[in-house]
Amino acid sequence: MTEIARDQTVTQAESPAATGRDLRAPFGLALLALACIAPLFLGNYPLHAIIIALIFLLPAHGLNLLLGYTGLLSLAQAAFFGIGAYTSALLAVHFGTPFYLNFLAAGLVTGAVALPLGIPALRLRATSFVMCTLGFVIIGQAIAKNWISLTRGDMGLAAIPKPYFALGPASFTVSGTVGFYYLVLAIAVLATLAVYLIVRSPAGRNMIAIRENETLAESVGIPTWHYKLVVFMISAAFAGLGGSLYAHYLTVVSPLTFQMYYSTTMLIIVLGGGAGTISGVIFGSLLFVGLTEALRVAPELRMIAYGFFLLGLVFWFPNGFAPLISRCSSFLEKRK
Amino acid sequence: MFYTIIEQVVNGIVSGSVYAIVAVGMTMIFGVLRAINFAHGEYYMLGTFGAWFAIEYFDLPYPVAVVIGVVATSVIAVVVGNVVMQRIVGAPAEAGVLATLGVALILQNTIILVFGGSYKFFSGGYIEPVTLFGFTLAEQRILIIIVGLIVFVGLELMVTYSRMGKAMRAVSQNIECCAVVGIDVRHIALWTFILGAGLAALSGVLTAPVNVSVYGGMGELITFKTLPIIIMGGLGNVRGTFVAAMILGVAESLVATYVGLQFRDTVGFATLMLVLMWRPHGLFSAQARF
Repeated sequence: MTEIARDQTVTQAESPAATGRDLRAPFGLALLALACIAPLFLGNYPLHAIIIALIFLLPAHGLNLLLGYTGLLSLAQAAFFGIGAYTSALLAVHFGTPFYLNFLAAGLVTGAVALPLGIPALRLRATSFVMCTLGFVIIGQAIAKNWISLTRGDMGLAAIPKPYFALGPASFTVSGTVGFYYLVLAIAVLATLAVYLIVRSPAGRNMIAIRENETLAESVGIPTWHYKLVVFMISAAFAGLGGSLYAHYLTVVSPLTFQMYYSTTMLIIVLGGGAGTISGVIFGSLLFVGLTEALRVAPELRMIAYGFFLLGLVFWFPNGFAPLISRCSSFLEKRK
Repeated sequence: MFYTIIEQVVNGIVSGSVYAIVAVGMTMIFGVLRAINFAHGEYYMLGTFGAWFAIEYFDLPYPVAVVIGVVATSVIAVVVGNVVMQRIVGAPAEAGVLATLGVALILQNTIILVFGGSYKFFSGGYIEPVTLFGFTLAEQRILIIIVGLIVFVGLELMVTYSRMGKAMRAVSQNIECCAVVGIDVRHIALWTFILGAGLAALSGVLTAPVNVSVYGGMGELITFKTLPIIIMGGLGNVRGTFVAAMILGVAESLVATYVGLQFRDTVGFATLMLVLMWRPHGLFSAQARF
């Protein structure tokens, strides 16, 4: 870690929300408190929507580390999401292992799978890298469809047990929307904390240095190749954890878990909220829920509106919607 | 045995010609706009639907339907090019990916909304079999190979000799310098995009009689086949794209026969990864540019 990189990264890391800095911690705590009491005033359906958003938050955090902090655009999140979902589902169905084991295994397996995939892919320039990561999704879907003895092909795996915890003789099962909501919320908070610790550490600053100027970062002694590979694995592991939750929540997995749609969704959450900020990604996942709920008219119309939303995002809010809100709040503060 | 292999290779060349016509448009668009066009298969689909509409509702003959399909797609491409594609010249890579994904969603789902999502029968084209050198081939397949060759010779001549073609090559090498010497980059970008979309539509209309059915979601698969081709061919490289498309077409045909039909659609990306491990800059470029 050298002075040049540190100077550059400190300004980068703090500039986006520098004005609203003092408000961030209390605002975050208020949001968390609100999230904790949400089941008191929200019905099952809105809770379901928020659960989906919190599950997607995990792969989105991973993509944010990769795209927002290290500057690598990847479409592979859907592939790792699917691998995590299948790992968890296969363990649960064949061995009946408790939830926390499946969950951790999903993260470890996807992280491990990302290593051999990342080594060739990360050698490529930007555009070829994007294509290669898209290839992982297509090939993953083909494997899920055709390795019928393991994955049951297009039928998918059904009757995945609801998460249950077993420690010695005691065991309990998370059933019902409210229980699952608290489980997912706890995991999402822990994941957010983990990402916060990563980006606040010297490693996080090195990642930003790689994003800003890879050649310069390399020349001041940051091992950029190792950083990129490790971040790729971490981001894959986050996607795998999300996939595991998704499998246990929906209790089915099918080759449709490997879809471009999921990769697009992760991109929307990260870029819509603001890449390179943690609060942005949290905002992005809530935005995504709001969007899908608002567009629940007809499937075709919904996808058309989704398309127009993407265009609007690119052309009018290239930094995402979160900076817009922090600009509004700082504007209001100045008027006081 | 030998006869089947030859037959599969010929089939591969037919589908390779189709991929080549689609992919060459995409690779030229990439060269000029520096954006991967995720909506490219959608223009293939639009061309097919235009021709299907002309045949089904107005009972027009197939050659007229081809023209209508290509013209209708080009008109849509003018709109998309003006509203979206011109604005992503010089934008970061994420912008190009998201914007073209958005365009793909809009085009695909508008067609499904208007015509419904079901498969539709495409009645047209020349499906009579012809026997050549002991091989039986549908007329339409021969037509596809001939049109493929004409398109490539035409493009090669255009890129080498015409003013527009030279400008396209110049823009794909260095946007800033072109702007400095007074080339209207946005104008070139727009025309390249329209040309690419028109070629995709042409390829769609030519294949429709072979595929027999058309449906709104058919473009996505074509996009996913085209992407590995343009990377293997070396992004922006016209001749490389032609060779890569032929390799993929033949490889797919052989894999479908000897390994299993269900693996056909992964051949592209699997080959791409193998090629990139060996040559990270594609098969036909001296060094990595993108």
